[in-house]
Amino acid sequence: MTETAVSFEAVSKWFRRKDRLVHAVSRVSLEVRQSEFVSLIGPSGCGKSTMLRLAGGLLEPDRGSVAVNNQPPAEARRQKRYGFVPQHPALLPWRTVRRNVSLLSDVNRRQDNPGMSTDDQLAMLDDIGLTPFLDSLPRELSGGLQQRVSIARAFALGAPVLLMDEPFSALDEITRADMRYLLLHLWGRIGSTVLFVTHSIPEAVVLSDRVAVLGSRPGRITEVIDVGLPRPRHAEVEDSDDYHRVLGEVRAALRRGWSS
Amino acid sequence: MVELTGWTASPAPGRPEPEGSGEPGLDPEFGVEEPPEAPRRPVRRAALLVAPFAGLTAFFVGWELYVVVRNLRPLTLPLPSDVIIHVVENPGFYSRNGLVTIQEAFWGFWIAFFAALFVATWMAHSQFVERATMPVIVLMQSTPVAVLVPIFLLWFGFSPWPKILTAMLFAWVPFVANALIGLRSIDSETHELLRSVNASRWEIYWRLRIPHSLPYLFAAGRICVGLALVGAVVGEFFNSREGLGNAARVAQSRLLVDQLWGSVFVLAFIGVAFVLLLIAVERRVLRWHSSQDSDHRAL
Repeated sequence: MTETAVSFEAVSKWFRRKDRLVHAVSRVSLEVRQSEFVSLIGPSGCGKSTMLRLAGGLLEPDRGSVAVNNQPPAEARRQKRYGFVPQHPALLPWRTVRRNVSLLSDVNRRQDNPGMSTDDQLAMLDDIGLTPFLDSLPRELSGGLQQRVSIARAFALGAPVLLMDEPFSALDEITRADMRYLLLHLWGRIGSTVLFVTHSIPEAVVLSDRVAVLGSRPGRITEVIDVGLPRPRHAEVEDSDDYHRVLGEVRAALRRGWSS
Repeated sequence: MVELTGWTASPAPGRPEPEGSGEPGLDPEFGVEEPPEAPRRPVRRAALLVAPFAGLTAFFVGWELYVVVRNLRPLTLPLPSDVIIHVVENPGFYSRNGLVTIQEAFWGFWIAFFAALFVATWMAHSQFVERATMPVIVLMQSTPVAVLVPIFLLWFGFSPWPKILTAMLFAWVPFVANALIGLRSIDSETHELLRSVNASRWEIYWRLRIPHSLPYLFAAGRICVGLALVGAVVGEFFNSREGLGNAARVAQSRLLVDQLWGSVFVLAFIGVAFVLLLIAVERRVLRWHSSQDSDHRAL
């Protein structure tokens, strides 16, 4: 039986906004298996990013519990077991591409997770077409290249769990489509567990093993859909009937979640 | 932990190698297209280079013509050429006094910088400290620093300290204000990214807050170079036996117009020289910042 990498058990979270409490997520339960790719999809404000931050130990649940490899998230964070990819590339503008990629390894060196070796990092960067930009500064790169660096930075840590918060939302549609397969390629090589937040149904279907559909006010998981498309996936998968069938299922689940 | 067993390059799916042409991304039908030649604008480049000198020359020529045409007495307004000749003829006097003023301003500038960084760091990390410190800073900002000089003289006598402290007090408020903004206004996603690997406060400070505040500190530095010089000169006005402020005060009391204006010219020259030095360092250190794009900068 496959081990659970991330688990949410009846997790609830409230935020205080001025003088009122906002119920962000309510009694959310989800189990993500080792090396599984799970997307969280739902309308804005449904608590997707909150779930991601709960899993990453950046927020504490008010009720219920979150575990990462049977550890509290805060402990997993201390041991550098997360690779975080934020919505915007969040590159340090004064560091070159090469030094941005090694940033997470350079920080909190007390832990025994040194990340990839420099040679492996360079090979990975070469693999995803970043070699000509190794000594470039972020402002010299396009938005797509910056996000590519941001993803490479998360993989370079060699962390068993990757948390991605709408990493492609600021990109144009063509670059975005390219980035999906680049991410699949890297993930296929490393095999980390991925929790991926997105607004895009095609993105969720192309990337994921399972798609967790969230409803809003308060945020809760309404359905979990098995994608079941064969791997490895290439751009041609988007022409298949199965892909369109799953796309329809997720769309219908979102509609049900919205109306319930 | 994920096992890392090395990385062998293989093309990512979705980005197939193009067929036909050996070079990726080229259409074999059309082959390689020559890029257009970069536009050459030697006249424009030369004009931009000489612009600062042209501006200064126009200023001094205009001044010279005004004095000649209006037939003004030197006591009212001397010819700039006369002042420059006077300074060149007395290099020992001006370099000796200039060096004293530079030293006072230099120490005042750096003490202000480090004191401001220390206080701003404390304020950036604690709302309580910020709220407690802000009224004191506003109080210091609102108090005319010049009136404190006699008090410093009572405390420190004829040592350089009254002048250094005055220079420091002139310079430190812009440093505190800018350092606080720079240390505070970091990108929240980058902050979260560093927290996701449990970066310590010190690491976040050193790797994120300090580099992020550098553009603000350089902007403050440009202002504070002038302010530190003003502070040193004001200190010298009150009681000093050396320095350009003292030279100007003595010249004013004895109606030595050349020396009075000579001190002003040398002080202006020192200010410009240090600002230019700071700009040169800034260009090197902040080469990553958008302010250093040639399209955005005037100096």
